[in-house]
Amino acid sequence: MIAQNFEYSSPANLKDALGLLSKDDTKALAGGMSLIPLMKLRLAAPATVVDLGRIPDLNYIREEGGTMRIGATTTHYQVESSALIRSRCPLLAEAASNIGDIQVRNMGTIGGSIAHADPAADYPASLLALETKVVLVTAKGQREVAISDFFVDTFTTALDTGELIREVIVPVEEQSVGTSYHKMVQPASGFAIVGVAARVKKAGGKIVMARVGVTGLSGKPYRAINVEKALEGTAGSATDIQKAAALVADGVDANSDLHASADYRKHLARVYAMRALTVALSRTV
Amino acid sequence: MKISGAYTVPVAQERAYQLLQDPAILAQCMPGADHLDKVGDNEYEMKMKMSIASIGGLFAGKVRLMDQSPPESFRLVVDGSGKIGFVKGDGALTLIPQGDSTEVKYEGEVQVGGTIASVGQRLLDTTSKLIIKKFFEKFSELAAQSALT
Repeated sequence: MIAQNFEYSSPANLKDALGLLSKDDTKALAGGMSLIPLMKLRLAAPATVVDLGRIPDLNYIREEGGTMRIGATTTHYQVESSALIRSRCPLLAEAASNIGDIQVRNMGTIGGSIAHADPAADYPASLLALETKVVLVTAKGQREVAISDFFVDTFTTALDTGELIREVIVPVEEQSVGTSYHKMVQPASGFAIVGVAARVKKAGGKIVMARVGVTGLSGKPYRAINVEKALEGTAGSATDIQKAAALVADGVDANSDLHASADYRKHLARVYAMRALTVALSRTV
Repeated sequence: MKISGAYTVPVAQERAYQLLQDPAILAQCMPGADHLDKVGDNEYEMKMKMSIASIGGLFAGKVRLMDQSPPESFRLVVDGSGKIGFVKGDGALTLIPQGDSTEVKYEGEVQVGGTIASVGQRLLDTTSKLIIKKFFEKFSELAAQSALT
């Protein structure tokens, strides 16, 4: 189908974009991997679309003071193939390489994906495990939000009207940390039926840090803090991992759809948590 | 699609029941609705402007309250349609007193059709949960205010 008529503008800098976005019924367009299909199906019909694709100031990958700063319109392919990200924050590169298909990764952006907040998107699991910060900007100034506060609910984020994501900030991973992202893929869409990201650090034969992020299971992605706690202080044996991973879906209101029932999704979450943790541990030094 | 769940609201059973029958309160709790027009006994018409993710649409529909047995239970039937599809919902609400607050249990069936259903299957479950949650959050807020006055 063809989208309804709309005004299109492609500002060359962030200031102009923010000015345009302050008007009513305006949508920001990043890679267009979610917005364009919705517009073509006429499920979305914004009066104005502001294309962020020509703002050089939003597309970058930088290392700065122990962190990696990634501009909002950086594509999944740029993240996946960046030598800097692969060495400094390999979990993010692994997550990016798991998104959709090559066409989606060439167009889709990190800012667009998290602003849309699809409950089955891949990035959120890893971003939560990485305790990412999101920098949001309006014409009046900018603020920093923890990723766990950024995702409010299904398709609902902390973004205010007229506000844009400027960049995400992830830590430069210590050499001793092992990471991994595992997902059950929905083959037609490439989305995660369930996806689990894990980061672990060992010292003196014991796990001293564990972070686990889960996507696809419920209305919003979350950090499985009970799994992290159960794992920290253990030696990380197969039994330790199994016991901890068994807690991943506890107390979670799981989604149910034609691809997977709630019980099956919970089961998948436990299995994929175990796999992600096992691989992450095998990557620790 | 079957839906069920429970929310606890911060007012006693009778008050909660009374508020749930009040069209002015219901209109404020339905996300995107602005008012309900009475068209018959316990029957109202409404317009709802939905916006979830980038999806936006105007729905026009009817709300009916049935099988009322105050202060314990009633049925809420919602029927709406718009350019992007239609929604039919039929739910039984049961109010269980819990001291100064009330547990509202709901159980029912939602049917969604049209474009939104054919392309959005994956999202219907999470989206309907989000709408119900928004309804009860707003309702709890209004109920708490009404308890003060």
